[in-house]
Amino acid sequence: MVEIDYNNNPILRMNQIKKEFSGVYALSGITFDLYRGEIHCLVGENGAGKSTLMKVLSGAYRPASGSIEVEGKSYETLTPNLSKELGINIVYQENDLVASMNVVENIYVGNEKVNRFGFVKFKEMLEETQRQIEELGIQMNPLTKIENLSVSDQQFVKILKALSVEPKVLIMDEPTSMFNVEDAAKVLKLTKTISEKGIGIIYISHFLNEIQQIADRVTVIRDGAVVNTYQNKNRDIPIATITTDMVGRPVDTFYQKEKQPIGEVLLEVKDLQLKKDSPKISFQVRKGEIVGFAGMVGAGRTEIVRALTGADSKYGGEIRINGRKVEIRNPGDGIREGFAHITEDRQKLGLMLHNSVLENVTIIGLRDKIKGFFIQIKKFPPYVEKLITDLRVKTPSLWTEAVYLSGGNQQKVVLAKWLFIEQEIYIFDEPTRGIDINAKAEFYKQMSGLTKQGKCIIMVSSDMPELISMSDRVLVIRDGGIDGELAGEAITEQNIIKQALGVKKYEE
Amino acid sequence: MKNKLTFLKDQRILLSFVIVAIVAIVAMINPRFIAVKNLITIFQQISVIGILTMAMSMLLISGGIDLSIGNIMVLSGVVMAQIISTSGNVALAVLAGMITAILCGVLNGVVIAKSKCIPLIITLGTSQMFYGLALTISGGRIMSFGGAFNAIGKTKLFNVFPVMLFVLMAMVLVSYVIMNRTKFGRRIVALGGNEKNAFLSGIPVVKYKVIIYGIAGFFCSVAAIIFSARIDSITANAGTGYETNALTAAIIGGVTFDGGKGTISGAFLGCILMGVISNAMNILQVETYIQTIITGAIIVCAVVLSNLNNMKKNK
Repeated sequence: MVEIDYNNNPILRMNQIKKEFSGVYALSGITFDLYRGEIHCLVGENGAGKSTLMKVLSGAYRPASGSIEVEGKSYETLTPNLSKELGINIVYQENDLVASMNVVENIYVGNEKVNRFGFVKFKEMLEETQRQIEELGIQMNPLTKIENLSVSDQQFVKILKALSVEPKVLIMDEPTSMFNVEDAAKVLKLTKTISEKGIGIIYISHFLNEIQQIADRVTVIRDGAVVNTYQNKNRDIPIATITTDMVGRPVDTFYQKEKQPIGEVLLEVKDLQLKKDSPKISFQVRKGEIVGFAGMVGAGRTEIVRALTGADSKYGGEIRINGRKVEIRNPGDGIREGFAHITEDRQKLGLMLHNSVLENVTIIGLRDKIKGFFIQIKKFPPYVEKLITDLRVKTPSLWTEAVYLSGGNQQKVVLAKWLFIEQEIYIFDEPTRGIDINAKAEFYKQMSGLTKQGKCIIMVSSDMPELISMSDRVLVIRDGGIDGELAGEAITEQNIIKQALGVKKYEE
Repeated sequence: MKNKLTFLKDQRILLSFVIVAIVAIVAMINPRFIAVKNLITIFQQISVIGILTMAMSMLLISGGIDLSIGNIMVLSGVVMAQIISTSGNVALAVLAGMITAILCGVLNGVVIAKSKCIPLIITLGTSQMFYGLALTISGGRIMSFGGAFNAIGKTKLFNVFPVMLFVLMAMVLVSYVIMNRTKFGRRIVALGGNEKNAFLSGIPVVKYKVIIYGIAGFFCSVAAIIFSARIDSITANAGTGYETNALTAAIIGGVTFDGGKGTISGAFLGCILMGVISNAMNILQVETYIQTIITGAIIVCAVVLSNLNNMKKNK
């Protein structure tokens, strides 16, 4: 371990940064510093001001007041070019790689090495990439096209790309938000390796366990101001303290679900096969029950629920609802038979980003809930208003385009459109991914509410605390089939991971 | 409601302002421009392109596009003319022409929805097919309608308003009602907004695409009648350029290539703007070649202007 020298000058220091948007302070005087080789974690709820602060650093935003010191030199504001020149680089949350180009090409896109005639020196770039890959201990062929890489490898490429310009300050924005436990661990390890090379890292994440593991210091911001900065030398910073700081009041990290009486079998799946050679899947879900689908990313959890609701075709098997055999060929059939499918990836699958909240919420309900052939959108709000208020969706109005809402509120809109039509079987696929704690709590409350009404829930999730606290039973999916079932006390993080990874069942 | 109002400000109010400004300026130079007769002429001039713009706008909002609408119109017209000249049965001719156009639209829709290819390329191809068909049927000759549509082309209500004006208005109204007041239309908007989301929301995507392309085909056949009524004849290459003009009018009116966005009223305003500009230049006796340059420049300006907000947004 390299010791961080806090007596030296910090490599980066932001002094009393203020930034306002039309009169509202997004940042109200933030002071934040970073030392050479340090991992400084920045946490806060969505909308707390993390992204705004980082945009000030990247030069996208000009602060209203305050100063930015980089290696002792003070600046009033940075521009994107200046920020780069000073060695500040960002690994963004979104994927900005070119899918049809290979690893090397992606790393050097916009920054190609050329000879004196202006031709690209591919071999040199390849060798340099190879060296980086080895140095960081990653397994990857630099000539693979991005579209053929796994999500975690793509994340590595993004990091490699950021490193290729030899930054002094590296900002990582939720680098593990799309990952399972295993891949996240790889990214964490890589982050440490990079910091040991003397690069200062600002690490933004919602996963407090991660932060506890890797942070040298943790700064919590709320409503555009720093709440606290903690040392984390012994990797033992109490998570409860951080969450309290984040939301401004104590929260239970584990949601306390009210126990519901479990009724008769509502959904019965028998010998469901997605493809000819895939495993047969059979399970039941009862009224008032929440069944968790655990498993690694890519284990086939999403595929199973997509086949159930008609989003994908299936090869064989039987689905019974309330004992009656149903045929589901497309999502329309699925909806008719009572399925609600809160899909993963709200932006790509769940929303019309450039349409209003109102239009988004009523899109499915148009079919049966709203009567008649001719309609008038102006008359919809009364249908939707109560729902939006109940879910506490923060939106300027029902006519606001969904794209302007925060992640948590967007996700609530997705839920609202399915609550609007009152289905029987609710399927949640990664319902709380990338949303803040308060929005999560709202989701758990709604799920409890649904089971109370005798509806049933299938919840695909990679969030362990959520799986453990919400599920009555957990089915562990591996290689496209059900590998095991856990219930009651047996639902523990350890059991789930063991099963999901395929560790021998009775090795003890 | 706030956001809806700002949206209005962005697109349609801006357009109306530009139109009024141009009308005012031209009227000052030549008062003849705002004579009722000339204003009616403007609408008469945009009647064909207006109907095609409605078709194009609906497709663009649905996330599609159809570059064959010009040739669908021509093919439909040629079929009508052929039947009139051989049998003299106008009703039959109109029916056959409409069915032909609807079938052309449905063909586009089926291929696009099933193959999931880019509609732009598919309709470029089908456009050639329809053009070829029209050439084959007409033998490349000018096809006469023998005055069959004179009632539409020449009749004027109260001796002032030509019938075709009402046809145009009716088609605009029909498309407005389809897109804004029917479940089908709202779902078409949803389809254009996010096709995957629409599919998962239980919307039968393939069926809806076929229907909307079919409707566009129907609009083309109505445009064919108006077109033929004005000059009592049609040729196979008469449709050239209509698809791009319709596209331009729609885009100027705030309809986007990305789908899910845009309004019928906006597209219609876009159409009026183009009509006003071209008529104004005639009145001001601008040379034809120069007219083309100016039209192009105005289109670029209008599109850039209507995109100013987006440019700001990305900053």
